[in-house]
Amino acid sequence: MYKKTTKNQHQRLLFLGAGETDFGMQGENDAAIYQVLPILEKQGYQLFLVDDNPYSLALESGQAQTIVATLTVQNVKAIIKEQQIDGVFPGFAGDRGLRLWQQVMAEWREEDGPRPVGLGIPDSTVDLMNDSAALFDRLSLSGLAMPQATIVRSQAEANELLRDLELPLLVRAHHPAQATTRKIVKRLDDFENAVDQVIEQSLTKEVVISKAINGLKEVSLLVLRDAAGNCLQIGASEDMDPVGIHTSDSLTVAPTLTISDQVLQEMRTQAFQVANLLNIQGPVHVQLALDEKTGRLYIIKVSPYLDYLSNRMALLTGYPVMLVAAQLATGRLIQEIELPDSYHEKTAMMEPVMDHIVVKLPVFSFGDLKASGVRVNRQLNSIQKSVGSALGFGRTFIEAMEKAIRAAHFNNRSFSPKYMKKLSDDEMIQQLIHPHDNRVLLLLEALRRGYEIDELAELTKIDGFYFYQLKQLLAIEAHILDGEPSRQLLNKAKSSGLSDGLLARFWDSDFQAIRELAKQAGVVPTYKALEPSAGEFPENAHQFFATFEEENESVPVSNKTILVIGPGAFRMGDGASAGYVTAVVLSELRALGYKTVIMNNNASDASLLPHLSDKQYLEPLEVSDVMSVVDQEQPEAIVVPGNRRKLIEALTALGQKVIVLPKEKHQPMGPEEGESEFALNIFYDGARAFPLVLTQHQSGEIRLIDQDESQVDLSGIRLPYSGVYQLIWREKTRKWLDQVRLPDFGSDTWLRPMPYGQIAFLSKILQLSLIRLVVRSWKGGLDEDDLDALVAHMPALRGADFAMVSNRTDFDLHLKPDQPVDSTRYEMGAKIMRLMED
Amino acid sequence: MERHLILEDGTVFSGQGFGSLATTFGEIIFDTATSGYQETITNPIYDGQMIVFAMPVVGADGIHAEAYESINPKIRGVIVHDLAEVSTNRQRRMNLDRFLKQHNIPGIYEVDTRKLIRHLRETGSQKATIVDVVDDHARDQLQATVLTNKQVQNTATSKAYSNPGRGFHIIVIDFGLKNGILRVLGEYDANVTVLPYTTSVEEVLTLDPDGIILSTGPGNPEDLPESVLTLIHVLQTKVPMLGIGLGHELFALANNSELTTLPAEYHGMNHPIQEIISQEILYARQGRGYVVNPEQLDTKKLFVTHRDLVDNSIQGLRHREYPAFSVQFFPDGAPGPLEAKRIFADFFETVVDYVQKNN
Amino acid sequence: MANKIVLDQASMQRALTRITYEILEHNKGGQNLILVGVKTRGEYLAHRIADRLEQLEGAQIPVMAIDISDYRDDRLGQHTQLGLDKEEQVNIIDKNIVLVDDVLFTGRTTRAALDALIQIGRPKTISLAVLIDRGHRELPIRADFVGKNIPTAQNEKIQVKVKEIDDEDEVEIVH
Repeated sequence: MYKKTTKNQHQRLLFLGAGETDFGMQGENDAAIYQVLPILEKQGYQLFLVDDNPYSLALESGQAQTIVATLTVQNVKAIIKEQQIDGVFPGFAGDRGLRLWQQVMAEWREEDGPRPVGLGIPDSTVDLMNDSAALFDRLSLSGLAMPQATIVRSQAEANELLRDLELPLLVRAHHPAQATTRKIVKRLDDFENAVDQVIEQSLTKEVVISKAINGLKEVSLLVLRDAAGNCLQIGASEDMDPVGIHTSDSLTVAPTLTISDQVLQEMRTQAFQVANLLNIQGPVHVQLALDEKTGRLYIIKVSPYLDYLSNRMALLTGYPVMLVAAQLATGRLIQEIELPDSYHEKTAMMEPVMDHIVVKLPVFSFGDLKASGVRVNRQLNSIQKSVGSALGFGRTFIEAMEKAIRAAHFNNRSFSPKYMKKLSDDEMIQQLIHPHDNRVLLLLEALRRGYEIDELAELTKIDGFYFYQLKQLLAIEAHILDGEPSRQLLNKAKSSGLSDGLLARFWDSDFQAIRELAKQAGVVPTYKALEPSAGEFPENAHQFFATFEEENESVPVSNKTILVIGPGAFRMGDGASAGYVTAVVLSELRALGYKTVIMNNNASDASLLPHLSDKQYLEPLEVSDVMSVVDQEQPEAIVVPGNRRKLIEALTALGQKVIVLPKEKHQPMGPEEGESEFALNIFYDGARAFPLVLTQHQSGEIRLIDQDESQVDLSGIRLPYSGVYQLIWREKTRKWLDQVRLPDFGSDTWLRPMPYGQIAFLSKILQLSLIRLVVRSWKGGLDEDDLDALVAHMPALRGADFAMVSNRTDFDLHLKPDQPVDSTRYEMGAKIMRLMED
Repeated sequence: MERHLILEDGTVFSGQGFGSLATTFGEIIFDTATSGYQETITNPIYDGQMIVFAMPVVGADGIHAEAYESINPKIRGVIVHDLAEVSTNRQRRMNLDRFLKQHNIPGIYEVDTRKLIRHLRETGSQKATIVDVVDDHARDQLQATVLTNKQVQNTATSKAYSNPGRGFHIIVIDFGLKNGILRVLGEYDANVTVLPYTTSVEEVLTLDPDGIILSTGPGNPEDLPESVLTLIHVLQTKVPMLGIGLGHELFALANNSELTTLPAEYHGMNHPIQEIISQEILYARQGRGYVVNPEQLDTKKLFVTHRDLVDNSIQGLRHREYPAFSVQFFPDGAPGPLEAKRIFADFFETVVDYVQKNN
Repeated sequence: MANKIVLDQASMQRALTRITYEILEHNKGGQNLILVGVKTRGEYLAHRIADRLEQLEGAQIPVMAIDISDYRDDRLGQHTQLGLDKEEQVNIIDKNIVLVDDVLFTGRTTRAALDALIQIGRPKTISLAVLIDRGHRELPIRADFVGKNIPTAQNEKIQVKVKEIDDEDEVEIVH
């Protein structure tokens, strides 16, 4: 029993920002910080945030003093001293935050004064998390099983070990410089190479070698713990693919379906044990492997901080994980958590239960890369290859999976089944054993070719349940192909998640005809609330998903609603910045007095945060899904990203008022080596264009040019939509220029919408939210006040000490491309850097 | 084939039949747990009831030998949204559909279970029937049906039996015992004797128990004969005692306290339960239609040890004078969290003390 | 050889909880009850038991501490100093005293504590609660409330750690 901790002991609290997005680090942490700031402010804390991520939404929050600075030990120390910080949240920046905080602690000197307290995670645990051998010892001492691991310091030592251990082995870096990379070695020939590579990634030049546990079932649990040691489970999800395929690259499903209660409870007990051992106040994400033959469990990864699973589970269950996590870190107990009024008063204390199924599908960039001539290794393994994910919500596994497929690809089965037909049987068996990104389609094709469930389960190490389900899906498809669109068949098809578009293809019809047919037959979506009590309590839910049952729980928000179509399946840098743009649009629409409804399907950014909009639909974004929500909400207008051309056309044709957020379909190519791209950045309010600032762009970096162009005459420019644009030209120069001569706008330049990432960057540097201005111009141009503000601001809109630098993603590691990948075009993330005086 | 669920208040839900296709009557309740359907379906406390699962997909883990809570399930109906036809046990012989057929239990799937649960949440537990055709006859039958109050008689053993071990001698008074309790007693290597609830005080004491467990069971405890309360009343003064579920309710009744009937039963495992003395929170499987009425608790005899923090209901009691205590929730899990297993550890520590002091 | 943890934090909490229940059982709701902790760790344990009683019964039970380091019959020295701090002295006449200690071993500590208590007044009853009973008694003393019985060898040492001064709750056998 513990005495209650004194509240608000630490008045000035600093959030370490999550930094640049990358593989495994999407926009979740930033969204989490953005979400928790208001409630902590209300509780009387003075909040600070340091980050260098240009796409950050939290950096533009009014609830914290935000500091744009590179995330280095020196900067963090300086901020702590200058702002007299009492407590630091390292865990909201994931494992990067822990590493940075550990360095800050290590480099804190007596003369620096009193060191602030680390919130949510004890200092000793921070150290432990950065020392995998010590962590292993700590956990195994307590009876928790982890795959036996040994640390070696040289190739010779590694070879020595090889004699004692059987292949396959897992080789990973000890004290890695970046997020851990893991290599599974199956053949003797690859061993030396793997050790060589991994040793380079270790700060201490040490390699951890352990028995690989490939082929076991992988399950992820998220638990919360408070200062008194009370633990609760937020959720568990299972991977369809076995250990050996990175969990981010596997189809995953929540809640777990194929795990018995006995095993699940044992996993829960172990996860609680881990949380207690590490003395965490907040979330702990534990990944376990289950050997179904022996019933043995292995802990394969422990992440005692906020990561993607916290945000995803919050969205999946309706339980406000981040709001609770932040308060637990400040010392509140589970029964003392405060939540906004929209939650049931006991929500924080109750373990959330789901009465729906959610499937997550990975999104890969192989297609985009192939289109630009880069070939990559598409075989999945223990290194993450996906660049994002999409979620499908339903009331059956099939419905959730089909919706996830549609969410990931914007349409049904865009990866052609014909390609599958060309696959030889040998190739098929190869791919069953060594999976590629086309996993689900391959499994379907194997079933079509008559493979037995037991046989497939053996080859793939995938639970038989999934094959039963896929078989059922094939039966439904066969039924549809053979049948006429009856009410019964339409209901079956639509409740299996199939879209009007796909049915139209099956029945040789068009989407609108199917839609009408279904409507006439009374087959219309029923929206189910997504809330954490599974129907036990009335909750004031704002999150809904479509299914086809009897009761529709969604009531239209108002008669002055704007529907915003989210960016959909997350695609790294582009996805992170699109999430930023969507969130700002929602925030500004609300500020203007509109009720807002958002449709989206990923948990990796802020766009679906409950407090940003009046209602959230967790749906795919095909025309039929959008039109169903339109029928339900009767919005005044629909905001659609400009890259969704077909959707814009279809909605317009159906008589909807569409507001287009200008965006190109693909990220533009960066300038060639030795070349610079220049942009005169323009704000267009629907009638007039205003010059903003000049930027220079070289491969992977953007800087502002200190040159006043506020008087340039742009009166000739006419564009279809208000927005932020760029007049582009290129010159052969490697130098960063202070002055540049403007070309002839008529012939030497081309015009394009400003990429979202640059909008986010410029908004921060210019301290002028460009997206808010765009939203305000939708009423028919900017009003006088905004115009005055913009014009008055213009002379200041030039030069700056900051640059935006694309991160140097290790594409070689993740994707094994046959040629260098343009990091500008396939930007996974970026950081804002302060330029030093030359 | 299409089948229908009719509620006592007249509401009809339609779906597809599975399991047995017989007409069935029972009291309908809902369960919000997301795991452990097999344990739940086979738990004898559900004698005479039909369960609606909030978890939309049921059956994906097949049927397993280790997940039985009783050999002959007494449940009257299973209502789910999506039925997974999987048989993933070692021999791949049994799936949920076949299992229910074998035990003559009707099921219905493709039901809008969320609508049904929201409806039951407002209208409370009630009688229901699953039928092929919705007509006046079916409705009349439902109204005319009187549900049995002999559930304990129906499920509890009528003959004593033993489950030998080398440890303490624990007597389980059976009111419709679930296997989970025996499983945990086995972990302690207890020497277990299961006795019918009609056993006399003398018979129990002749067996020289080191501890007594009042088991879980179905139905309304007030339907049991007065002799049960006398049995408890006397035994609690002699030997350490632990009451669970129905056993807890009987323990309260035997100590001059009263119960209230819940308007809507709670079946799930996500409510926080606080141990008052330490303020610790734990989660445990609950299944209850009755709780001890706090207004009618004889505080001279009993004090409250646990509360459900959601509805504030009494979840644990302890006698002021004797080493006797009880919990409303199921500390054996099966299905459900294992944190509450410590209740058994407390019980065995009490038994150790008792044995040491009385040697 | 490494020390062996025989009681972790959770089981130590449970043991104190159980002792509390038993004290209640034997003292009819805690009336006229006074807890006397044997310094150093027994005092903290006594406070924890008092906190638990307060959660259950809502009433504060007086806690005193007794320092018997000068009182042991197996130690050299004068028995001049009273074990109880002056300001802590509560009237113990006709009260039910529960003496709380961390480990019961030979029984000599307990005897010294009894001596000290009786010097300051005549309580109605004195009972003994210990977290650990490790056996090897040399006097006819037995605990009324035992958290855990841990049979030990003579040469082993039991180390009780409490959060208040040792940063963690743990009992280990030290070899």
